[in-house]
Amino acid sequence: MSLIFRLAGPGSRLGPQILRQNCTRMLNAVRPVTMKCEPAVPDKNESHDERNMRIGRPQSPHLSIYKPQLTALLSITHRATGMALSAYVIALGYSAVSLQLPLDHYIEQLKLMQIGAGPVFALKFLVAFPLSYHFFNGIRHLLWDTARFLSIKEVYATGYAMLAVSTVGAIVLSGMS
Amino acid sequence: MALSLLARNIPKLRGFAALPRCTFRIQKAQNFTQLVVSKNTNSLSLANKCKIQFVNVGQQAKRNMSGDHGKIWTIEKIISFLLLGLVPATFLYPNNILDNAFAVACVLHFHWGLEACVIDYARPIVVGPILSKIAIALLYVVSATTLGALIYFNQTQIGIGCALRDFWSITGTAADNQKSAK
Ligand code: HEM
Repeated sequence: MSLIFRLAGPGSRLGPQILRQNCTRMLNAVRPVTMKCEPAVPDKNESHDERNMRIGRPQSPHLSIYKPQLTALLSITHRATGMALSAYVIALGYSAVSLQLPLDHYIEQLKLMQIGAGPVFALKFLVAFPLSYHFFNGIRHLLWDTARFLSIKEVYATGYAMLAVSTVGAIVLSGMS
Repeated sequence: MALSLLARNIPKLRGFAALPRCTFRIQKAQNFTQLVVSKNTNSLSLANKCKIQFVNVGQQAKRNMSGDHGKIWTIEKIISFLLLGLVPATFLYPNNILDNAFAVACVLHFHWGLEACVIDYARPIVVGPILSKIAIALLYVVSATTLGALIYFNQTQIGIGCALRDFWSITGTAADNQKSAK
């Protein structure tokens, strides 16, 4: 829009009641200003990244500056556990088709090795914790998706509850045989 | 800055009151928005000179990192909800149907999950446009072959549920040998 808002000098149009009381003092503060409206520059068709690069803005939140918060930590852990579980499932599938003997043979071998209760607990924990965490936090995610527990207070409360339940769950599961 | 400008020019700014009406249209419209000044806004005598403004709101869409996947979203959530039951069920009552249902649901779920991760981390700006495409293609290959492998495992070997139970029955002590001797 090629349009110029010419704003006249002081005193040309003393209108509104706001100015009535303190006219003179206000007027001293008034300066003639010329505002020029130019055609709106259309947004560059660029991605979030491209824009950040162009204006030299770092990725937000800047992780080495931003204070770690429970919300962000639980969120990234959900992603990490999801990735870990995916890796396990992919490994299970690939080993099932690529190993020379059926998979149960190798489980049997592991049994015969008698690696001790501690290492077995640790091994199971490596599976149980990601599963337990992802399972219970998954419930939390699904509840959010139905627009529940979304206030900051509830997000923290369910966060701590999930952490407790999934940790206890993982320990109990790892101790089972 | 805008504020001080306003304060200085309150008398002359009455005409601007009509402006929000214009901007509101931009937000409401979907794509190419025609910004036309209404006839009855006489106070905007100057603004009437502005003919028509095209605002391509559609261009904003590219800002989304993961793009639009509104349709798949619901299916994703249904699959997640199914997994909530399938995971314990497959472990507790292993059978061929549950094993395969788990395989399909799980692969679908982790495929979309990992896709989100790949889109977030293997971005064109970070790894280049070619590598980011390769990463997605590779994920499709991995997901598809994993699904095939899991179903093969379910059909030809003990299956996912029994494998998990088997692994979980390990104690790491002499008790294992007594059990396996049977
Ligand atoms: C046990 C039941 C499970 C439930 C209820 C569940 C739930 C969820 C939900 C709701 C999300 C989306 C999080 C978001 O909105 O950002 C998610 C993400 C994910 N899940 Fe699951 N999940 C389950 C099991 C699994 C399993 C077994 C795997 C792997 C084999 C897995 C892998 C993933 C991955 C990779 C992601 C993506 C993480 C991300 O984008 O941040 N999930 N899960």
